[in-house]
Amino acid sequence: MQAAGDAGRDIVTIAAVSGVPYDAVSARSPRGRSLLSRTFRAILPFLVIAVLWQTASLFTKPYLFPGLGSIAKSFWAILTTWELLSQGLVTWLRLLVAVSASLVIGIPIGLAMGLSATCDEFLRPVVKFIMGVPALNWVIIVIIWFSTTELRIGFVLIVLCTPVTVFCVYDGVRSIDRKLTDMVLAFGANPFQHIRLLLWPYVQASAFTAAKLNVGNAVRTVIVAELVGAPLGIGKELDLAKNVFDMPTVLAWTIFLVMMALFMTQGIECAERTMLRWRGESHGRN
Amino acid sequence: MAETDMAVDIVSAPARSPKLLVERARKSFRQASGAEVSAIADLSFSVKSGEYVAIVGPTGAGKSVLLDCLLGLKYLDAGQIRIDGLPVENFVRDRKGHITRIFQEDRLLPWLSATDNAAFGLQIQGVAQAERRKQAARWLDAVGLSAFKDALPRELSGGMRQRVNIARAFAPNPELVLLDEAFSALDDVTASRLRLDFKTLAQSQQTTFLIVTHSIDEAIFLANRILVFGAPARLMAEITVPPQAWEDRAVSDRIKDEVRSLIVAGARPG
Repeated sequence: MQAAGDAGRDIVTIAAVSGVPYDAVSARSPRGRSLLSRTFRAILPFLVIAVLWQTASLFTKPYLFPGLGSIAKSFWAILTTWELLSQGLVTWLRLLVAVSASLVIGIPIGLAMGLSATCDEFLRPVVKFIMGVPALNWVIIVIIWFSTTELRIGFVLIVLCTPVTVFCVYDGVRSIDRKLTDMVLAFGANPFQHIRLLLWPYVQASAFTAAKLNVGNAVRTVIVAELVGAPLGIGKELDLAKNVFDMPTVLAWTIFLVMMALFMTQGIECAERTMLRWRGESHGRN
Repeated sequence: MAETDMAVDIVSAPARSPKLLVERARKSFRQASGAEVSAIADLSFSVKSGEYVAIVGPTGAGKSVLLDCLLGLKYLDAGQIRIDGLPVENFVRDRKGHITRIFQEDRLLPWLSATDNAAFGLQIQGVAQAERRKQAARWLDAVGLSAFKDALPRELSGGMRQRVNIARAFAPNPELVLLDEAFSALDDVTASRLRLDFKTLAQSQQTTFLIVTHSIDEAIFLANRILVFGAPARLMAEITVPPQAWEDRAVSDRIKDEVRSLIVAGARPG
């Protein structure tokens, strides 16, 4: 195998000549940019809004535009008072369960639709119909259907998140390069191996996208569901605050909710980067 | 006595049967317009064990369709394909990985390292992870990629990825290797270096090769025999390539001229 050995030396030369130098990559990378400058650019719009808000608070009643100090005080109270923080954690747990359940239910359905034209024809209209029902209609339906609060909230969230997962996974399966499918089948893969070795890695990427979309979906919906008679959760706290015109608390919970969604999305992206390392981080740049 | 002779003949038949036999094969496809287009038309040929046979022909000669049929991915409308005397469907089902294909594009799985890509056929065969990684590493070493065992496909150059593609095809120790325009997506320098390495590697194996190519030079360089196809796939001529033909300019030019004129004659109108 001398020839192969010689070829090995040649390959190293080829890589050194034609490969993209790592230094060049890092020089072009966003990491190379000033962290300070990027942070400033990210918070600048919020700073502008804060200044405008604080100015408005000086000329209006406190229940319309409360001062930033009172909002911060309410927010701090949420973070440091277990009775309040636990309400936030209850909502977070509901979101987590709903997003996870939508993956567990949606991935097999999306896979089946992507792999089988018959399944696709049968399930697509149903999924589309469910997707078209507004969240508030589901809330009304579950109030009639179920007596348990958790079941009501869980059902609404899952029924709204699952179609998103289904279509993300479906698109993921359909977008798999036909040539890779042919390669896998050419090696004699059985249907199970086909799913495990080819489809599953692609589906993972789609599932992460679905999870991120569903965090946003679920955050928007969970409060609506909790407002209708939930004894625990941020929705209940918002309802109480609304009754006494406690605007600082309403805004503090809103900020808490947005931060919770951002942390969840960040967590998903972190897991995505770890599990899908093979995709690299080029974002379209070569 | 006659009966005894016949019995001996029947018993010894499988041993003398060709590695690959394609007999009166026909395959056509229906287009979206409803028109039927023939891809393979009454095609017959055979390949002996250990032979290097190249298939050349015009575009649309159904060469890739034939390879799909050889892998059991597509079925003939009529005729038969036998490998080691077995119908191709049975061979593919019972001897997973005994036919492999080197694709024109590398078709590596982007999430697998070079080693795991090279071990892919073994994984399909159900070989244990430690063993398949050991064998894959040996083949990566043979194709000169031992320093890149853990590299992902996106970290490799086109030539390197094609080397992994070759290692993947050899790793399951196949009986028949199909090359589908294996070097045509590479630049000339990389392609000729890879062809040379491939030939060295192939000669160390007891394997039969069916090489589909558009390059007559490649066919002369790699094969012992060239089958010239017309479009749709039918055998127009069979040319034996003498040993060392590649090094004899006059011989290779004569073969090239002959093959070229046959391809022109066999092309579909338009």
